[in-house]
Amino acid sequence: MTARLAGLTVGLVFGVVLAWSGLSSPDVIREALLFESAYLYLLFASAVLVAAAGLALLRRRETRALLTRAPIDWTPERPARRHIAGAAIFGLGWGIADACPGPIANQVGQGIAWGLFTFAGVVIGVYLFLRQDQPETEPATDAPVSAARAPA
Amino acid sequence: MLHSQLAWYVAGPLLGLCVVGCRALFNARLGVTGGFSEIIGRLRQGQSTFDWRGWFLFGVILGGTAYALAAGGPDFHGYGWLTDHLTGSAELAIGPILLGAGVLIGYGAKLAGGCTSGNGLSGTAMFSPAALAATATFFGTAIVVTFVIEAVVG
Repeated sequence: MTARLAGLTVGLVFGVVLAWSGLSSPDVIREALLFESAYLYLLFASAVLVAAAGLALLRRRETRALLTRAPIDWTPERPARRHIAGAAIFGLGWGIADACPGPIANQVGQGIAWGLFTFAGVVIGVYLFLRQDQPETEPATDAPVSAARAPA
Repeated sequence: MLHSQLAWYVAGPLLGLCVVGCRALFNARLGVTGGFSEIIGRLRQGQSTFDWRGWFLFGVILGGTAYALAAGGPDFHGYGWLTDHLTGSAELAIGPILLGAGVLIGYGAKLAGGCTSGNGLSGTAMFSPAALAATATFFGTAIVVTFVIEAVVG
């Protein structure tokens, strides 16, 4: 229950920022991809910088995760063909719709009807992948321990 | 719209802190596709309870609703190049185009092990070589696709 509430809260912050920054707007994304505006790149770089610094700090303190009590750690993943192929398929869709999963969900929340089409598409795409029963590529946790199971 | 746009140096660090928050709370990687996957995977198995990743996605949706309520409407109108260029009877093509793009986005993100948030934001901050390769690939592909569209319709 606590974990769900925490997930919802982080999602709310993430969602408000996506809308307020204009990242949910296809025009903002398109301007960035055409190199007409540096906004997205500056935002992205500052986000990664803050995230990287925060993660490094967490890891160095050797703490445990507040809700799962899992030791805070992760193992770097080697690039494989599926990362490149999947990202190319993803990039094709992103360039056409000028929105990725976060902004798409966010658009629907804002009441933008066009977003329903893309949202339905993402649901179908994820379903088609899951139907193949391939090993899970979206790890819930990165803990190197085998008992790494997402809490309910 | 632009007059109220959050400055990049506020929005970026806030998104970065969300990534740190997921690590501190769950020792997990923040990713929106993970939320989609959690919900669809559970529903497939006939379950209707979702872990925090599903609730994170609900939050991303409701965050959009909260913004629209506070701002008195959505952040934008129309839909980018599609509604600018496909008018009249051509407008009927927009829905199918967005649906098809969505399928590519959903399937591609699962195959690559993450989308813009999972690989692009969280994975790069973890210095994961796989995420760095995926991020370079999807940014490069999207830039090429956008320039091609611009050349055709612009």
